[in-house]
Amino acid sequence: MPSAAPRTLADQFRTWPDTQLTTLLEARPDLATPAPHDSSQLAARVVVKASVLRVLDSLDALELTVLQAVVQGTDPAELPAKPDAVATALERLESLALVWGSPTRPVLVVGELLRLPAGPPAGEVTALLEAASAPARQILDHLHETGADGRWSGGAGPTADLVEAGLLARIDDRHVTVPWSVRLGLRLADDRRLDEPPELATSERAQPMVDRAAAGAAFEFVRRTELLLDRWGTHPPPALKAGGLGVRELRAAATLLHVEVDVAALVIETAAAAGLVDQGMSDSVDAGWLPTDLYDAWQLGSTSERWGTLARAWLANPRLVSAVGGRIADKPVNALSPDLARNWQVGLRSDVLDELGRLPADRALAAGTGVASLLDRMRWRRPRRPAMRLHQVGPTLVEAALLGVTGLDGFSTFGRQLIAGGDATKSLDALLPAPVDHILLQADLTAIAPGPLEHDLAQKLSLVADVESRGGATVYRFAASSIRRAFDAGWSAGEVHDFVAATSRTPVPQSLTYLVDDVSRRFGTLRAGHAESFLRSDDETALTELLHAPGADALRLRRIAPTVVISDVPLGTLLPRIRELGMAPVVEAVDGTVRVARPDVFRARSPRRRPPAEAGARAVARTGAVVTAIRAGDRASASRPNRGASASSPTDVIAMLRQAAESGEQLVIGYVGDDGTVAERMVTPERVEGGRLTAYDERSDSSRHFAIHRITAVSRPG
Amino acid sequence: MRSLFPDPGNSAPANPRSVGSDSYEKNTPMTDGPLIVQSDKTLLLEIDHEQADACRKAIAPFAELERSPEHIHTYRLTPLGLWNARAAGHDAEQVVNVLLTFSRYAVPHALLVDVAETMDRYGRLRLDKHPVHGLVLSSVDKAVFEEVIRAKKVAGMIGERIDAESVVVHPSQRGNLKQALLKLGWPAEDFAGYVDGEAHAIALDESEWTLRPYQREAADSFWHGGSGVVVLPCGAGKTLVGAAAMAQAQATTLILVTNTVSARQWKSELVRRTSLTEDEIGEYSGAKKEVKPVTIATYQVLTMRRKGVYPHLELLDAKDWGLIVYDEVHLLPAPIFRMTADLQARRRIGLTATLVREDGREGDVFSLIGPKRYDAPWKDIESQGWIAPADCVEVRVTLPEGERLAYATAEPEERYRLAACTHAKVLIAEQLVKQHQGEPTLVIGQYLEQLDELAEHLGAPVIKGETSVKERERLYAGFRSGEIELLVVSKVANFSIDLPSAAVAIQVSGSFGSRQEEAQRLGRLLRPKEKAADGTQKPARFYTIVSRDTVDADFAQNRQRFLAEQGYAYRIVDAADL
Repeated sequence: MPSAAPRTLADQFRTWPDTQLTTLLEARPDLATPAPHDSSQLAARVVVKASVLRVLDSLDALELTVLQAVVQGTDPAELPAKPDAVATALERLESLALVWGSPTRPVLVVGELLRLPAGPPAGEVTALLEAASAPARQILDHLHETGADGRWSGGAGPTADLVEAGLLARIDDRHVTVPWSVRLGLRLADDRRLDEPPELATSERAQPMVDRAAAGAAFEFVRRTELLLDRWGTHPPPALKAGGLGVRELRAAATLLHVEVDVAALVIETAAAAGLVDQGMSDSVDAGWLPTDLYDAWQLGSTSERWGTLARAWLANPRLVSAVGGRIADKPVNALSPDLARNWQVGLRSDVLDELGRLPADRALAAGTGVASLLDRMRWRRPRRPAMRLHQVGPTLVEAALLGVTGLDGFSTFGRQLIAGGDATKSLDALLPAPVDHILLQADLTAIAPGPLEHDLAQKLSLVADVESRGGATVYRFAASSIRRAFDAGWSAGEVHDFVAATSRTPVPQSLTYLVDDVSRRFGTLRAGHAESFLRSDDETALTELLHAPGADALRLRRIAPTVVISDVPLGTLLPRIRELGMAPVVEAVDGTVRVARPDVFRARSPRRRPPAEAGARAVARTGAVVTAIRAGDRASASRPNRGASASSPTDVIAMLRQAAESGEQLVIGYVGDDGTVAERMVTPERVEGGRLTAYDERSDSSRHFAIHRITAVSRPG
Repeated sequence: MRSLFPDPGNSAPANPRSVGSDSYEKNTPMTDGPLIVQSDKTLLLEIDHEQADACRKAIAPFAELERSPEHIHTYRLTPLGLWNARAAGHDAEQVVNVLLTFSRYAVPHALLVDVAETMDRYGRLRLDKHPVHGLVLSSVDKAVFEEVIRAKKVAGMIGERIDAESVVVHPSQRGNLKQALLKLGWPAEDFAGYVDGEAHAIALDESEWTLRPYQREAADSFWHGGSGVVVLPCGAGKTLVGAAAMAQAQATTLILVTNTVSARQWKSELVRRTSLTEDEIGEYSGAKKEVKPVTIATYQVLTMRRKGVYPHLELLDAKDWGLIVYDEVHLLPAPIFRMTADLQARRRIGLTATLVREDGREGDVFSLIGPKRYDAPWKDIESQGWIAPADCVEVRVTLPEGERLAYATAEPEERYRLAACTHAKVLIAEQLVKQHQGEPTLVIGQYLEQLDELAEHLGAPVIKGETSVKERERLYAGFRSGEIELLVVSKVANFSIDLPSAAVAIQVSGSFGSRQEEAQRLGRLLRPKEKAADGTQKPARFYTIVSRDTVDADFAQNRQRFLAEQGYAYRIVDAADL
C-alpha cells in the first residue's frame, strides 16, 4: 500500500498488484463480464448495488459485523473477537472492495444498505437491557438472533416499550429494527466470540465402517442407474410437453428400483446431469427419455469409474432435485422439468460438503444434534443468505449418503478424494465386491451370483433367467418363460445346457435339466407365418388344444388342415395372445427360416457438455485476460493528456460520476435543460442509481436529481 | 425419502433415525463373511462357509428363513420379524451389528436405517395395568402417542385421557387395540399381564420318555414371554410342547384343534404323557360337548353359526381358563381371531409348522396370539435325528393318446381333474406299492372317484370325508399297529394325524399345488422311524405321480420349488424308468 492515501477507488485499483486485482475479480466474477475498459470503469462497477448485494451474501458473520462496525463508525477493534481475526476480516473486505482508502471507509452503497440507527449511547445499553421486561427481552433476543427486522404497527405492548426505551428503532411506519449500539451490547453480553464459528456436533465413527457403508450406497446407486436406464432403453417413458417426466412414470421408476419416489428422482436427475439420459425418439414415442450413446460408453467402465461419473455430475448439478414430487408456487414439480435449476444450489452443496470435509477422518456428524449444529454453522458462514436455502442442507446430506459420498453420516475416503478433484477409483474399488465369473445353481431353480457378475455373463444370464433379488449378490430364477425367452432370442437347448454347466460352480440340478428339456420339447411345436398369419404344427392335438383354449374365439382361428390353422388377426396381436395361452410359437420369416426376436434398444444423442475442470481452467484464463485488459485500458487513458479530467461517452460519464460520488469530489456537468439548451452546472454527486444522478447542486444550493441521459459531458473543475 | 436426519429441534427421547452406536468402533468388518445382504431386504447365507453356523444362529432371531436349498439359504427381514426380535429382547444395535459383522459386502446404509427405524417402532407404546384406571395405553413419545390416539381406527377403543401421555383402554378392547396399533405400524408392548385362571394340577409323566431339549426350550421361552407362537416342523412333537406349557401353567386349559380325530389324538397323548386322566379331559366337538378342566375343542364347532350367532362361543367363558392352546395357528379361522381378541388376559400358546398363512394374516397372529417365541429349522431337527429324512421323487407319466385329446378339448376348470385322474397313475401307484411291499404306505389323493378306483385296484381300505370317525380311528389304529400296511386317504388325513409308522407316501393328486398341503403331507412321513441295525435311518419316500405336459406338471413345479426350498432332495424319474 502506498504511503499516500488514494484519492479515488480507481486510483486504489491502479496501485494494486495484479494478483490482488485477480483475487477481486475471482471473488466477484460479475465485475469481469463484460471485461471493464480500465480501472475507473471497474471502480464504477464495484459500487453497483446488485453487485454489492451479491458480495455481501458471501460474507461470514465476523466479516459482516466488522463491515457493519466500519459503516457505523465504530472501531472494529472493540468487537468481541481477536484483533488478528478482525484484521484478517478487514483485509478481506478491502480485497473485495467493500471498504477502501485510509482511514478505512465503506463504499457508499454498502453504507446505505447496512446502516442502522445508532441507538442509545453504548454506556446506557446494559442498564436498558436489564430494565426490559421478559417478553420484551424475548422479542429483542429473537430479532438479534435472526438478524431480521420486526413488524410493528404502532400498537401498545412490549414492542412499544422497546421503542420507547430506544432498544428498538423504527425504520418506517410498520417496521422496527435493533439499533447498532444495542446489537453491539447484546453481542458483548453474549458468551460466544464473533470469530469462533459454531462447532459441529460430532461423534466418533470408525472410518472403515463409514467407508463400507458408503461403498454399499455407491454400489447401489450405480446399480440402480443401470437398472433404470436399461429399462428405459427398451421401454422409454414419454416426455411431457413441458419437458419433464410424468408423475406416473416417476412412480413406475420407483417401483422398478424398489425405492421411494424421491430416491428414484435423484437417480434420474443425476443420470441426466451426467448426460446419460436425454430426450429422443423411438419407435413407440415421439419424444421420450432415452439413454444416450454416452450411456453405452459409461456401461463399459468399472463400477467405481461409473460411480465417479455420477458423483461428479451430482456435485455440479444446479437442479433442485429434492423439490421433485413436491410443489413450487402451488404447481407440482416433475423430474427432469426444465425450470429446476437454481444458481445457488451448487454453491450450497459445496459449502455443506466443505464443512463435512473439515471433520477429521474418524468423526461423523452426531446422530441427533449434528444437522442442527451444521445449520448453525452454515448460518454463521453466510448470515445474509436467504434462510430458505438452508432447507436444502438436509436433502443435500441425504443425497450425499445415497450416492455414497458419505456413509453413516461421516465422509467416505473416496468421497473426500472425489471432492478434492482426485481419483477416487482406487479406494472405491478396494471396497466394492470383486466381479465374479460363476454362479451357484440350486435345486429350487435359482442361480445365485455371489457378487457382481461380469458384464457379458450378466447379460446372458438375464436372458435365460429372471432376476429375483439384487444387491451385492444377484438371485436369478429359471422359469419356463425365461428359458423360452432365450429360445426366442435364438438359443438352442444345447446352448442353454452348456451355458449353465460352464458358469455354475455347483452341479446342474436335475430339475433344471428337465425344465430346459421340457420347454425345448414344447418350444416350436407351433409355427406361425406373417404373410398369411398362419399357425402350423405337426402335432394335431396341440392345435386342437389351441382352438379350444378359452379366449381363442377372439383370435379368429380357422383350421385349414389337420396340422395348419390360419387367422386373419395380425401376427403382432396374435402372438402374445397365443403365448398367454401357454403356447410357444416360433415366428417364421418369408423364406421359411426362423426369425429371432430380441427387443430393440434405443439411444439418444448425448448432450455436449464441458467437463467442470475445463470450465475452471477457462475461468482462470478469462480472469487473467480481464486483468490484462484493465491494465491496458489504464495505460491508454494515462497516455491521454487530460486523463480522467473529463468524459463525454456515456460509460465514462457514469464511471466518473460514481467515482466522484465515492470520493465526494466536485464536478462540472453539461446538462440539457427542459428547454433544450445545454447549461453547465457545478455539482457534488451523491448517488448514481436507476439512470439518475442525485447530486448537490451549487447553483440551487440543494440536492437535486439529474437524468443521466441528459448529461452531455463531465469534467473536473479547473 | 426417509431422511437420515431428524428435524433440528426434534426432541424425541431416542433418535430413531440414526443407526449410530458406539459398538461400531469395536467391530472390524469382515470381507469374507458368509452373509450377503441384498437391497430388497433378503439375506443370502452361504451354508458351506465355515462361519455359516454362527451366522445362522445370530440372524435367526430377527430374520425369517424363506428358502433353504442346498447351497445358499435365503432369509428375509420383515417388520414382523424385527418386532419379534424386539419382543424377544434384541435391539436394533445388535441386529445392525450382526449384519455388519457377518456381511461379505458393504451393507446398504438405507437398509440399516430402515432396520433401526422399524425396530424402534415396537414398544414406543405400552399397555399396562393401572390400579385406578384398569388398562392404560401410554407412551413417552408424545408425537407417536398423539398420532395413534387420533387415528380413526383407534378412536372407538380408547376412553378418557389421563394425562398427556396415557389414556384409558377398556379391557375388552385390549386385543382389538393391539391389532389396530399393529396395522398403524406402532405395535404396542403388552405388560398388562395375565390372569392365573383356575388352578389345576398337571405334571408331565416322564417315566417312559423324556422331553427333547428343543421342546423344553420352546416351552420355556413361551412361558418366559407370556404368550406367543412356537414354530416347529411337522413331526417334531408340538403336542408335547403344548403339554409342557400346560404343566408350567398348572391351570385349566382350553385346547383348540383342527378336527375331531386330532382332538382324540391330543387326548390320548395327554393321557399317556401327563398326570391327567381320561376323566379330566373333555372333548367339545360336533359329537360330544364336554367341559372339563382340560377341554379340547375343534375350530369347526366354535365357528359354527346358527341364525347369525355362534352358539358354542360361551365355551370360552365356561371356565376360568389359565391357558389356551391353538393347534395349527396357520389355519386359525377368522372368527377365532375375533374371539381371541377378547381373551387377551389369558395366556395363549400357538403351535404351528409355518407362520406363513395363505390369507396373509400373519399380523393378526402376531398381535392377538403373540410374537414368535421359538423357531427351529426343519433341517436342524432332522439332523439331530428327531424327524426322519425324506427322499422326494416325482414320477412322470404320459397321458394315453385318447386321454390327451380329451384333456386338450376340456374346459379349463376340468383340466386339472382330467390330468390328475388318469388311469396311468393307478398303474404306476400299483407298481410303487409293489416295490415297497412290507413298508407301511399311504396313497394320498384329492378326487373321490380316483381314491375309490385306487382302493379297488390296490385292494386297500380308503378313508375319506364320509368315513365315520369310529371307522377312521379303527383304520388308523390298524395302520399304526402294522395290521394294515396300505391305506388310501383323502385330504382329511392332511392335518394332525399321527401315523408315525408311515414310510412311503404316494401322492396322486392334490389341491392345485398348495405349498401348505405339501408340507402337511410330507409331515406325515417325518415322524422318526426305528433305526436299522447299522444305526442309519432309512429315508422316507415321498412319491408324486404327475402327468407330463399338463397343468398337473405345472403344479408339480410349485411343489418341487417348495420342497427344494425346504432343502429336500428332489428327483424326477420317468414312469418307464421305474
